[in-house]
Amino acid sequence: MKKTLISGALIAGATLFSALSPALAASGAIKIVLPEEADLLEPCMATRSNIGRIIMENVSETLTELDVRGKKGVMPRLAEKWEQNADGSWRFHLRQGVKFSDGTVFDAKDVKHSFDRVMSDKITCEAKRYFGGMTITTNVVDDNTIDIKTQPVQPILPLLMSLVTIVPESTPMQFVREPVGTGPYKLTNWTPGQQIVLETREDYWGKKPSVTKATYLFRADPSVRAAMVQTGEADLSPSISQLDATNPKTDFSYLDSETVYLRIDHNIAPLNDVRVRKALNLAIDRQAFLGTLVPEGAVLATAIVPPTTLGWNPDVKQFPHDVAAAKKLLAEAKAAGVPVETPITIIARTANFPNVTEIMEAIQAQLQEAGFKVELKFVEVAEHETYYSKPFKEGRGPQLVAAMHDNSKGDPSFSMFFKYASKGTQSGFSDPKVDDLIQRASAAVGDERARLWSQLIAYLHDDVVADVLLFHMVGFARVSEKLDFKPTIATNSMLQLSEIGIR
Amino acid sequence: MLSFIRKRSVASLISLVGLIVMVFFLSRMTGDPASLFLPVEASAEMKQQFRELHGLNDPLLVQFGRYVGDVVTGDLGESYRKARPALDVVTEAFTWTLWLALITMSLVTSAAIVVGSLAAFRSGGFFDRIASMLSLIGASVPDFWLAIVAIVLFSVNLAWLPTSGTGSVLHWILPIGVLFVRPFGIIVQVVRGSMISALSSAYVKTARAKGVRSGPIIFIHALRNAMLPVITVIGDQAASLLNGAVVVETIFGFPGVGKLMIDSILQRDFNVVLAAILVTALAIFLMNLLIDLCYALLDPRIRH
Repeated sequence: MKKTLISGALIAGATLFSALSPALAASGAIKIVLPEEADLLEPCMATRSNIGRIIMENVSETLTELDVRGKKGVMPRLAEKWEQNADGSWRFHLRQGVKFSDGTVFDAKDVKHSFDRVMSDKITCEAKRYFGGMTITTNVVDDNTIDIKTQPVQPILPLLMSLVTIVPESTPMQFVREPVGTGPYKLTNWTPGQQIVLETREDYWGKKPSVTKATYLFRADPSVRAAMVQTGEADLSPSISQLDATNPKTDFSYLDSETVYLRIDHNIAPLNDVRVRKALNLAIDRQAFLGTLVPEGAVLATAIVPPTTLGWNPDVKQFPHDVAAAKKLLAEAKAAGVPVETPITIIARTANFPNVTEIMEAIQAQLQEAGFKVELKFVEVAEHETYYSKPFKEGRGPQLVAAMHDNSKGDPSFSMFFKYASKGTQSGFSDPKVDDLIQRASAAVGDERARLWSQLIAYLHDDVVADVLLFHMVGFARVSEKLDFKPTIATNSMLQLSEIGIR
Repeated sequence: MLSFIRKRSVASLISLVGLIVMVFFLSRMTGDPASLFLPVEASAEMKQQFRELHGLNDPLLVQFGRYVGDVVTGDLGESYRKARPALDVVTEAFTWTLWLALITMSLVTSAAIVVGSLAAFRSGGFFDRIASMLSLIGASVPDFWLAIVAIVLFSVNLAWLPTSGTGSVLHWILPIGVLFVRPFGIIVQVVRGSMISALSSAYVKTARAKGVRSGPIIFIHALRNAMLPVITVIGDQAASLLNGAVVVETIFGFPGVGKLMIDSILQRDFNVVLAAILVTALAIFLMNLLIDLCYALLDPRIRH
């Protein structure tokens, strides 16, 4: 009896101690607290941020990866090198001596199978969206070489390969919940609703990371996430609120690849008139938002893609805040018969980003000051989609759709077609020159590609006045002083544990 | 008694069927799950493929017929987002909610009955005033505010308790403490009111005249008669906890059924929504049955 009591007391003590023990960063084990749990850990869904943050390049690797910390561009990962063949297809030379976490050897057949899965009609893989409108053929040349041919020819296929996670050939054509990958970590525990644990693999082909074990916890409330790092219950929260980011030793902001803008529907008067679109841009005092409703580190946007993207054009300047000029343009348009007094509706999504209500109300007031009649309508995510994406509703009035777009992939092709091409799902206009530039830039390589994207960005901003670009947003992270880590523009969608050092 | 249970079961079954029919069609009216499962940039073909794979392209009545057929065989479908049986997802979450509700309501009921009874015994006295004031505050305080304040105080400043999570006994203290406050405030007020009425009745005066001590008067004679309205309120409060304590689950990272239900509605994960409603409705039906049995046990007039 006495022995039982002592054992019970020891167990209870250990349990209580474990509850209050700090995260054990010094041992190489860290705890990361995220806002949202992954629904599933399916590699072909790793481009979705809540899944990608956990498994992308940690468990499941890609043939290539984009250098988001430096300027090396597309770098080798599971492919050591690649070149374009004469017929436009790409040949990838695969790394040898790589094993999956289930012990099987990685080879070209796995790459083929991974592609087949992504493009399969038996499952809906999110990565497939990056290959829309393409026919893809894979040809296994030998165990370590594979040719991938796309129709039409895709000049940025090596970059696109940074979005296709490689799974073993034995992976079924259905969603899996326990991913097997070639990455430095393997999944060792997933208790739904509570935690996901990754631990290092002894047989990983690359450099051994400092973090030996990562436990992911999930808390929806940003204050709780911040408090957990403060109390030592977690070591890293890549997303806390601006209000909680008060400790300069642990909290810092980072450009997070999200761009906030108002999509203009050019099809409906008065927004079909370029003078009106310019007046909208001139009427908004973007600078006044910085450090007030929008975090101080945010950058005023001149393109839908952040400044780290290929072809971003530094010569394009923001519209100044000039209410008099806006009023003058409106008067000119009115004199030319444009119905400038028609009420324009701003459609915004509730809780889309911090302070969205206040920001939209301020924009409404600024536009009204310039002479616009503006109504503001907030809708939830599903309804927002019906305003944002085609097919647009018949009989709608003039609308500005407030939206936030994420492109951390380094190339404008992930944005430009969808947002600006005549057939783009969220495009508010149709312009042959824009279509031509998008087509040519998408097919170009090297400096020519960057030049064409730059040209397009300037044309959209200065001539078409395609939309009201507002801010490249920043996120806030809290990182324990025990860790050596700085978030990047990709942290929203990917959190490579091998980039985290332990002090 | 058996006949009573049978009648209640049939009535509840009819309600349950009505509820499922209503939720099935109402959830379908909220829109297309494909547009939330896939990003806005996904092509129309991908969205079409998603609908095909999940049978969402079929006419609504065909979908309903298939659903009913599956439910009859115990299959509540698969979560679109989690690629797992919806029933597994829900029962996992419901187990957490059930424990949270059971522990909280046991503590609340015991404490509220004692405090409410003692307050009623010396109605207008010091203890009564304090209890009334605290119960009023408890019944009114917003739980999201209380939860954050509790974390700042007990976890961040005093470092006595973990901020959130489920790992140990200590993790349960703050969520239960926060959940405790509102039902406690409400039930104390009901117990007090009901006990004041019971304590002023003739049989209590008779017991006092016969020299019965205060303890037995309060907790044996008066309390049993005062319990009927109290049990009704306890049932209401327990039902709201069984539906999920969304705010507390969200803030403390408790993987309960309330947050799961809200997330599933927002993500249009129809099978999980339906499974969650079915499971919680069954639990509430069982609890109501239990309350009816308690009535019968406490009051012979109901039994007979």
